[in-house]
Amino acid sequence: MKLNVDERWNLIEKISKKTVTFGKYQHTLKDAVGELTVKPLTGIPIAVAILYGFWSIFGSFAGTLCTDGFFVKIFDGHFLPFMQKVFTGLPKWLYYIFVGDPLADNCFEAFGVLTSGLFLAIGVVLPAIFIFYLMLALLEDIGYMPRLAVLIDTVLHKIGLHGYAIVPTILGLGCNVPAVTATRILETRKQRFIAMTIMAIFIPCGAQLGIMEEVIPDTIGLVLLYLITGYFIFGFILNKMLPGRSPEILIDVPPYQMPTRRNVVRKLRMRITSFFKVAIPFVLLGCALVNVLYLAGVIEWLGNVLAPVFIGWFGVPKETVGPLIAAFLRKDLAVAQLSAIEMTKYQMIMAVVLVSIYFPCVATFAMMLREGWRELLGALATLVVTVFLYGGLMHLIGIVLGVA
Amino acid sequence: MKILLMGNPNVGKSVFFNRLTGANVIESNYPGTTVDYTKGYMRIEGEDVEIIDVPGAFSLEPKDKAEEVAAKMLRENRDATVVCVIDASKVERGLYLALEIMEEGYPLVIALNMWDVAEDKNIQIDVARLKEILGVPVVHTVAISGEGFRELVSKIKETVPVEMDKIIKRAGGEA
Amino acid sequence: MQTSNYTSTERRSGVNKNKFGRVYFGILGVVTLFFGIMDLVATLRGESITWGILEIPGDIFPGGWGGLIVLFAGLFYLAGIRNFFQIHQFSKVVMGSILVWIMAGCDIFAWITESIPGGEEGPWLNPWGNFLGTFAPPYTPAIFLLPFSLVVIYFIYQRRRT
Repeated sequence: MKLNVDERWNLIEKISKKTVTFGKYQHTLKDAVGELTVKPLTGIPIAVAILYGFWSIFGSFAGTLCTDGFFVKIFDGHFLPFMQKVFTGLPKWLYYIFVGDPLADNCFEAFGVLTSGLFLAIGVVLPAIFIFYLMLALLEDIGYMPRLAVLIDTVLHKIGLHGYAIVPTILGLGCNVPAVTATRILETRKQRFIAMTIMAIFIPCGAQLGIMEEVIPDTIGLVLLYLITGYFIFGFILNKMLPGRSPEILIDVPPYQMPTRRNVVRKLRMRITSFFKVAIPFVLLGCALVNVLYLAGVIEWLGNVLAPVFIGWFGVPKETVGPLIAAFLRKDLAVAQLSAIEMTKYQMIMAVVLVSIYFPCVATFAMMLREGWRELLGALATLVVTVFLYGGLMHLIGIVLGVA
Repeated sequence: MKILLMGNPNVGKSVFFNRLTGANVIESNYPGTTVDYTKGYMRIEGEDVEIIDVPGAFSLEPKDKAEEVAAKMLRENRDATVVCVIDASKVERGLYLALEIMEEGYPLVIALNMWDVAEDKNIQIDVARLKEILGVPVVHTVAISGEGFRELVSKIKETVPVEMDKIIKRAGGEA
Repeated sequence: MQTSNYTSTERRSGVNKNKFGRVYFGILGVVTLFFGIMDLVATLRGESITWGILEIPGDIFPGGWGGLIVLFAGLFYLAGIRNFFQIHQFSKVVMGSILVWIMAGCDIFAWITESIPGGEEGPWLNPWGNFLGTFAPPYTPAIFLLPFSLVVIYFIYQRRRT
């Protein structure tokens, strides 16, 4: 026998009357503090503070302590000279692919698979990913994420999403790959499409953030500002253009909890393991591919062919074509390559933003395909338009300000 | 034998799954952590049992993709026993899903999870009475610490499908 | 109301605590607010301000952004001092302290990460003297506020007892 919705609720009411008693509910200090984090007037300052803490700890740990404190020294001072010596006997092209520039005295410029590739993956990105996921796991397990969702709900409605879309977006700041799957918590196809597309285009991943902290510490703020602005502009446009509904939801706010060490450690281990499996092979492969293309002259050729677009439309040097190819494999690698190119500050900002918004990395690409090929094609079309429009717009801003 | 772990979002299904199978799926304190199903195995009385961690759902009429996956998993595993995880501080909405599953004729065990949170909120549940009315095993658990798990596992093989009219009769008995 | 369950002495001590708390967090709130404003001023001028062992950074991060949070902390304190012992008011005072802890915590963590490595030319680990040297003054406003913000713990403990 089956019941309809009303009959079912009636039955439940009868059952719960007989079995559940609600005692007096006393407000505890925990509840009162918890409420402050959800109300906009008090919640937004708190969110700003938490974001500050996140960013500060991220930079101190990954940048100051790990990369600048130890890894640069290990790789530049010991590992690079060692590799350069050991591989001296190799044929020139092999040497170039694996060790890179024989005159380089640091791992950002050498660009060999085994020198820069390993340095980027282990020396820069690994600490960044580690600290990012550690803090994310704490925020998740404490139960802060749904509160953030409540706070940002109104803003995200403007771009056709609702508060919960903040969850895939923040996951995307770690890695876009799991974030694509996480968009499934959204209700309609329209919402999923918008969330997935603007996330894949505008949200830089943890690896990329780590590298940017390292190579462009002064301008990273501006780069992020451009990306966030783009996220909202194009979300807004997509929402206006696409058919479909963006339903309201009731956000369920779970109680704050003390994170358990067991769960935090396990989550961290799983995410780091998947980083090793996915990211490191791609970083090395990307390095190798770009080096081979350089050797074969493909990059120079492409650079010349595309020069009018790069110089005329985007206002960046034609050498950025190499990093853009690498960006398809790994964004972090691409940003590192950019740092080795001679550019003005403005061009650097421009190039880093371009690398970020241009094509999602191959792993994200594969995940999006899993969500449906029509979604993927739509996202790609949006992407091409976005890159040209937004890139052109930024160039225009640069011209107006007189820095381009 | 197959077990489906079902329940509303963020009631601790993934914690159950990890506890029962020793597997590693991501657990977080927000709804929608699991959007795809995960399979694992555990041994009950010497038999290998397949356990599936189903994404959270409020009902079997899907409203988002996670709920779609949940409804589909249930349809595809007609021979499964369902462990329905219910947040003890939000019993009603958990029961809604549980009743729907029972209507479909699945044998069911109810785990009243987050018992500690309900206690903090001064909510008391008469487990014996609930068990009697529903005619299925009801166990109270605290998944994070593992409280109540042994009892839960021992009940999985005992449960049988229950007819709705019997529940209605028992619930309406004196009211 | 709960007050009715108190004996008269308890109520009187509660009232005293209440008054002390209001005055204390009122003053702390004003000082905190002042630090926050100075921080924003320093950021707008683009150079840091140094008074003795106090240094207010003049950049956007941590300076301006952090200054904003110190300012918020001050506002939280001031918003919470009326009906200090009422839970929804008291929670604002607690939140003010939590914001100060976030700021100070980040500053201290930044020191620690700076103090361990030996620098580009130096040895792997900082020698003891340099290690301690990192912790020498000047200090940021949040570090000065930290000890005073901890007083809130005493009040939390007080509430538990009553």
